[in-house]
Parts: sequence; structure tokens; C-alpha cells
Amino acid sequence: MLYRIIDKYFFEILNYINYIHAWGKIMEKRSPIFNLQKTLGARFTEFAGFEMPIQYSSIKEEHLAVRRSVGIFDVSHMSNVWITGPGAEKLISLTTLEDASKIGNNKSQYTAILRKDGTVIDDTIFMHLDDKYMMIPNAGADEVVTKWLNDKAKEHKIAASAENVSNDYVILAIQGPKSRDTLQKLTKTDIKTIGFFGCQYANLAGVDCIISHTGYTGELGYELQITPPKKAEGVFKKILEAGKDYGIKPIGLGARDTLRLEKGFILAGNEFKGGRTPLEAVMSYFINWDHEFIGKDKLLKQKEKGDYERLTSMICIDKGVPRQNCEIKKDGKKIGVVTSGTMSPCLNTGIAMGYVHPDYREKESIVEIMIRDKAVKAKVVRPPIVPKEWANQN
Amino acid sequence: MSNEVKSDLKYTDSHEWIKINGNNAKVGITDHAQSELTDIVFVELPEIGKEIKKGDEICIVESVKSVTEIYAPISGKIINVNKKLEETPEIINESPYDDGWLIEIEISNKSEISDLLAPDSYKKII
Repeated sequence: MLYRIIDKYFFEILNYINYIHAWGKIMEKRSPIFNLQKTLGARFTEFAGFEMPIQYSSIKEEHLAVRRSVGIFDVSHMSNVWITGPGAEKLISLTTLEDASKIGNNKSQYTAILRKDGTVIDDTIFMHLDDKYMMIPNAGADEVVTKWLNDKAKEHKIAASAENVSNDYVILAIQGPKSRDTLQKLTKTDIKTIGFFGCQYANLAGVDCIISHTGYTGELGYELQITPPKKAEGVFKKILEAGKDYGIKPIGLGARDTLRLEKGFILAGNEFKGGRTPLEAVMSYFINWDHEFIGKDKLLKQKEKGDYERLTSMICIDKGVPRQNCEIKKDGKKIGVVTSGTMSPCLNTGIAMGYVHPDYREKESIVEIMIRDKAVKAKVVRPPIVPKEWANQN
Repeated sequence: MSNEVKSDLKYTDSHEWIKINGNNAKVGITDHAQSELTDIVFVELPEIGKEIKKGDEICIVESVKSVTEIYAPISGKIINVNKKLEETPEIINESPYDDGWLIEIEISNKSEISDLLAPDSYKKII
């Protein structure tokens, strides 16, 4: 009885501590450039525990600015983890789909971290910067990923450690066909020489940072890792100034979502929800089978069986906007569920991604997406849903 | 952000406007509502002839990121819908009180009119 009472109070105290902890985090987790964003007219939303701009002027306008010219995003809700030590390369190879020894200095790689059962903990990019690696896990995944990496280093006796430095960095993304011209005005580094997925230290707008040729929009684009956070506001302002002639716009998370969806890029919180493997998420291209990694045996088994659902892109033929959790049907029979959907600002039609049984995802085949009991016809396509040439043709 | 409130209309606290003309009434969403929703990309309209009760869901208005139900401010029969919205839903953003109207209702219970908000009362809640 006494034990039970202690037990009960223990959990109440624990909950209280968690509550304070969570509240403290919420209070902290505003971007360091929140005030600037406010003066730029941002409307804010809560995303993975962060109060971030959902939009400034209009999602459509922002979206089209990135497709046609250039936009700047604050993505400091994304995480930063340094992986250091003589075994850093080995630790990354063990815990991701990539053999890190193949990723040379000043190169970065998109990959995923798996549980033992082969499902994705998080998709991420890691950057090889001299003798260490910076990993960029998703918003809110920083603690889970850091702990996982440190646990695995310990279990496998690898001399490497992961340090969560998310609060020390602001991440800015500059994306669109004019992103290179905009940034070039602010740095002596010849940005042209940074190849796709290249990364390096640079001085930009008078601030030392990491610049990488990466992004989440499918356009020419770059991302900056800036520390300490207080330096970010000045950089943001200078980029806005440098991009003025190109009509640069600050971009919120609303357009970030529509931009990535038009390219068929995964959003971890949507597409990995409920536990999905990289095979199901159609990330085969990113699986390096020539090395050992956690979850590999399960992936091999799944691959051999072959009957798993696969992430599938669709364009609506009928009018309607597919949303998350809409059922996907074929001749009235359920064949899958939408994980992400929106109205495409480029195409002006509904677009969606969802997991579909392999028998029903042949290119050009017609499926029905159930939107409020109405069957909206959609065509299966292969990503990108909006091709690279779109901006030149429209 | 725009917040125009027209003096010749009645309102609801769920941001619909209603323009009463004899036995009939036109319904739409307010300037405040369109400005909150931004970029309207899709409107689902009801069938003409449908009988509706005050508070029923009559339309769906979708922006890029949101789905919003529109409720009947008054009971009656739907006698007309704004077909233009099917091709150009953005006219709600451009002209919420005129070209962007949603439906027209033949009022069945005129006593409900007194429940609607006057322009000044609506101004207070936005």
C-alpha cells in the first residue's frame, strides 16, 4: 500500500517535472529571429513544439516566388547534432542507410536512421566537415536521435559521441533559381564551386557559417547553419536586401510544405507516421546495401517478400483537395491512405502522396481519393509531381 | 489584414454574412474570415433545392492549409449557389461581399433574423 502511494506520487512529481520541462521548452522554442519575422508580417503556427511562421503574405505567392525567383526560410526548428571522435564515420555507417566512408570531406548525404525492425526513426542529412559530422535531424527529433547515436556507440564500442547543439544554431534556407545570385553578393566564396550536396565553412554577410547546396524545394538552393543564434537576424536582413532585385520573399512553413509535396519529398511526421521502412517510403536509391547497418536484415526480408505498400504520388483529375488520412480506393476497394495532400499552387489541382498496395500503383493508373465521402479521381504519377521545367514553361 | 464590415449586412459569430432581400437571403463569408483563411483554393457547394436548418453545414471552403465548414445562418431552402466559385474560388478573397457570395436561401423562419448580429456587434468580435 505504502509502495503504491509512493508510486502514485512519484509519477505525479515526474509528470510535474515533465510539465515544467515541456513548458520551458515551449517558451524557448521560438526562433531567435521571431521578432523580425513578426515585423515582416508573419503569421505563426505551432510545429513540432516550435512557434514558426506558417506564412507571410500568402502561401501561393510565397510558393511561386521560390519556383520563379528566390525565397528565404527560417528552418531553425530543424535540429543540429555534432558527431565527433575517431569512430564518427563508423557510427554513422552503423546507424544510417549510408556507408559514411563513401562521403568525402565537404560532402553531405540524405539518409535515414532505422530501428532494429527496419522502420525509420528519422530521415536526416549529415555533412562531412573535416574530422567531424553535423547531422540535421527533423524538428523535435534531436533528443531521440542524439540518445540513439550515443547508445549505439556504447553498445558497439565505437569511439564516437553525439552532441545535441540544436539550440546553438539557426538554419536559414535560401531557395529558388536566383538563390545563388542572391548569396553570391554576400560572400567571397565562389558559390558555383559548391556542388550539389556540397557543404563547407564560409563567411557570408560577415558571419562565419556552414553553407550547403541542399534544400527541400526541388529548386536550386542553399542552407546556412549559423551560430551563435543572435547572428542570424543580421544575416536574414542582409539576404533580404541582396535579393531585393529578384523580388525575394520570406517564406513560411505553409509554402515549405506545398513546395516539397510538389516534388514528392517526404515529411517525416506525415510519411513515417506509424512506422514505415525506407523501402515502403521508396527511398531505395538512398540505401547502400554494401555495408552493415541497423535494420538491414529486416529490409532484406521485406525486399525479398516484395508485397509491401509503397509511397505513391497522385494528381487529382476531378476537383478537390486531398488531405491526410483520406482513403485511396480502386473500384470501391480500399488500397491505401493519403499521408500528405494539398492544392498544388503550380498546377492548381489537388495532389497527394500516400501508401498504396503494390498492385495498384502503376504509372498513369486511375484511383479514387475519398474526400468527405466523395470519390475524387486521381492519376498515379512518379515524382516529381511538378517537373523541374515548370517555371520556364509557365 | 483586412477587416471590412459592411453596414447593410447581418452577421454570425462564425463569420458568415447574410444579406436579406424580402424572403430571400444571400450568404457569404466575411472579409475578416477570408483574410484569416487566405488563398482560398476550393469551395464545395450544396445542391440547389436542399432544405437546411440554421446551424447546418452548408459549404466547405478550403485554403491551401485549411478546411473550413460554413454554417447556415438561417433556415430555409437553397435556391441558388455561386457556380463561379467552382472555377475561381479565389474571388472570395478578392470580393467577399459581392462576387464571392456562396449561396442564396429562401427563408423559412423569419423570426431567426433577430438572432443575427448587427454590424457593430460583429465588429466587436473580430
